[in-house]
Amino acid sequence: MFKPTPTGKLLLHVANLMVIVFILLPVVAVFIGSIQSEKALQADTRRLLPLEVTLDNFTVILTKGQQRGRIFEQATYLPDNIKSFYAAVTNSTIVAVSVTFLTLLFGSLSAYTIARQRYRWTLFLLQANIVARFVPVIVLMIPLYIVMRSLGQLNSLTGVIVAETGFLLPYAILILAPYFDMIPAELEEAARIDGCTRLGAFLHVVLPLVTPALAGCGVIMFIASWHELLVPLILNARPDFMTLPVIIASLVGDVFVFFNLMMAICLLALLPTVILVALLQRYIVEGLTAGAVKG
Amino acid sequence: MRASHFAFFMNLPTIVFLCVVLAYPIVFAGYLSVHRVGLAQLRRGEFPFNGWENYGRVFEDPLFWIGIKNTLLFSAITVTSEIVLAVAIALLINQAGVWTSRVTRLLILLPYAIPPICNGLIWSFLYSFQFGFLNRILFSLGLIETPINWAGNPDTALYALTVPYIWRTLPFAIILVHAALQGIPRELYEAAAIDGANAWHRFRRITWPLLRQIIAIILILRTAFAFAVFEEILAITQGGPGDATWVAAWYSYKITFAPPSNFGMGSASAFILALMIGLIALVYLRLIYRRVTV
Repeated sequence: MFKPTPTGKLLLHVANLMVIVFILLPVVAVFIGSIQSEKALQADTRRLLPLEVTLDNFTVILTKGQQRGRIFEQATYLPDNIKSFYAAVTNSTIVAVSVTFLTLLFGSLSAYTIARQRYRWTLFLLQANIVARFVPVIVLMIPLYIVMRSLGQLNSLTGVIVAETGFLLPYAILILAPYFDMIPAELEEAARIDGCTRLGAFLHVVLPLVTPALAGCGVIMFIASWHELLVPLILNARPDFMTLPVIIASLVGDVFVFFNLMMAICLLALLPTVILVALLQRYIVEGLTAGAVKG
Repeated sequence: MRASHFAFFMNLPTIVFLCVVLAYPIVFAGYLSVHRVGLAQLRRGEFPFNGWENYGRVFEDPLFWIGIKNTLLFSAITVTSEIVLAVAIALLINQAGVWTSRVTRLLILLPYAIPPICNGLIWSFLYSFQFGFLNRILFSLGLIETPINWAGNPDTALYALTVPYIWRTLPFAIILVHAALQGIPRELYEAAAIDGANAWHRFRRITWPLLRQIIAIILILRTAFAFAVFEEILAITQGGPGDATWVAAWYSYKITFAPPSNFGMGSASAFILALMIGLIALVYLRLIYRRVTV
């Protein structure tokens, strides 16, 4: 916009460098922590880079503890939850994909009508969704735990999917509504004159026009579900039904699990969403902006 | 089909979900908060009414007040820092001619991709007194002689916890400010430059007034979410050392699910947290969302 002076430019470079270092600090830490042995981390507590690099932390997780490699040779104990890594990945994937699908499906139906048809009750529904976005999960989890317990739905993926869909649906609606608002109503009217039903006009005319919004909203929903800890933590206590964040949280109190193994499993858990964000950055930025500021 | 019927059917799934997963649990939480609900009552399925006893016990519990105090302090620090940093970084990545700004812009969303629980564990590795990565860096740079106990010192633990939380949630704020910046017409700046305004004046008189709206939105959204901080507490300090980092959501979680499980008291304390956040939500609805929409 305005050409900075040479000194100004240097200051901008320095500021950028500071921000970049701050952003990358945890990423570097998780990477370096995961490629060394417990022994190496404990032997020299002032050393930054490991003397030797090992992939044993990943091997032991990815082979469910079958192949222990050199650094776990003498380990007599390995947490069971580490061994159910694959089950956790499967559960996390099932939950996140289902939640994404359901929130997009119901969210777009709602957002479209809320944006198009201004009745008193649709306005009320919009406001209810805005307030619902603020409700802290912990408040809902205590009663939901008791309800699911009495229904015998603890330790089931369905319970987690239903709960997460309910929590995220208001946010999906807030993200999608502004996009539907931007589609001119004349398009549907033309389709209706040509004999389309209301639903047909929505499915064949409007929905294809908002695919970028669906992509942005979908990836935001997937990430939110992949990251969700409290819902599955409280509802699912059996290892077969745990999601990745729950498995990882269970390592927190385990004195026998050292940072190397923790960093390795964290790195594996964060990769999918990091890749998604890298690929779909533009859509996410648009979706996040739309969800906070309508219009 | 009439338009109003169509609208109703389209919204039916949403209404069902809102009722089953949001409205009903909130009402049920209110019910639980005035009943005695422990593990024994849960097994029998009968919850005797006990009036305001749960609230009374929560209010008499010094840990609850420590949690509230820490939550307010934590939220004040994180939200203020996030707004200052978000404006600064958004202005920084908005610089067209600086190549490092493009690098920063590419990396901005990275923290958003990290699961909160992983973020917490990564920072617990960074902060570790004996084996921590942060102390290793400072040793290597020759900045410290003895290791620093970042999260293990009751005087600094809560402040230490604000950094991971700010790190993870900052991208959202930056994106919103950056989007607002790009909506400001260039002509305003050009006209100001012709009038001889310097950079500070341009920021103070043009940028800042046009950012106020989005900053109000960030302020409200981030405060509400910071009130419910949980993952980083669980991963890094579990409320410790001592009670230095007990926050409201952690209190409700522990009272409810750690033995002796008291669901009644847990619901009461969670309900108080929900009321605090509900007030913020109403402010958002009344002051901001409406003004933006209409």
